[in-house]
Amino acid sequence: MIIDHPLLGPRDAQEFVILGDASLIDRPDWQAEDAAQQFHDYQHLRDNPAGEHRELWFHEQGDRSWLVVTRSTLTHEVLKVELARDVAIARGRNR
Amino acid sequence: MAEFALKARAPLDGYARTFGTISLAEEAGLSLVSAAVPQGGDDALAAALAAGLGAARPATGDSALCDRYGARLLGMQPDQMFILFEAPDPDRAAETVGDALGPAAYVTDQSDSWAMLRIAGAGARAALERICMLDLDAAAFPEGRVARTVMEHLAVIILRDGTDRFLLMSPRSSARSFLHAVEVSIGNTAG
Repeated sequence: MIIDHPLLGPRDAQEFVILGDASLIDRPDWQAEDAAQQFHDYQHLRDNPAGEHRELWFHEQGDRSWLVVTRSTLTHEVLKVELARDVAIARGRNR
Repeated sequence: MAEFALKARAPLDGYARTFGTISLAEEAGLSLVSAAVPQGGDDALAAALAAGLGAARPATGDSALCDRYGARLLGMQPDQMFILFEAPDPDRAAETVGDALGPAAYVTDQSDSWAMLRIAGAGARAALERICMLDLDAAAFPEGRVARTVMEHLAVIILRDGTDRFLLMSPRSSARSFLHAVEVSIGNTAG
């Protein structure tokens, strides 16, 4: 599997480690009334789609950047690669 | 009490060998300092680099030569670069860079953590192709490009500083295994 890194170009998946569902970016507010329930859902409830899936990948043997990789779990085709930093900022995070 | 004197020892004991047209040798005289960018400090670092080292900051994957110290800046990742140079005083390499950049970067001396191998000569690229997953064709990886990658499951930073010249840096603790991998690959491709 080749991941087309936004800064470095195509790199072999061997250089990366996968963390999991990209929803991990949306960490709940720990001060919310129902924080315990929100963190339960955040930690344990994941979609497991057969098809398009957004995942966090870490370029450990490379430039150490976190990426959001959209790929098909059926074909392993990589559809889109973004820097996780850009995704987080676009979702209103400060970094 | 006995007097003890400590002597510096290179990670590969100054290894040097020639295989036909390819020369493979340890590069022992260079210092390597990492410089991390404080959050939001990109403009301050650009100014400090221009004033302190006479260089522009390279993009990730690129390198840039400095007017001072004959140093080369290696763009390693979005918020970090390495500075490769012959330090006037190798024991104070980080201080030398720190004095040049001031508070614009967090510097750490990494010189002793890395073994550096120079591979040069016709056939060097062919030898590396067997163990390096990157496309090392001059069109895809021209002179001045740098990348962190893996070879034989070992972390490597590869810099091309000539048509047939590459500098390979790998962690000191596994330096002998890395040297073995490169030697075997040269043996498999040369002659």
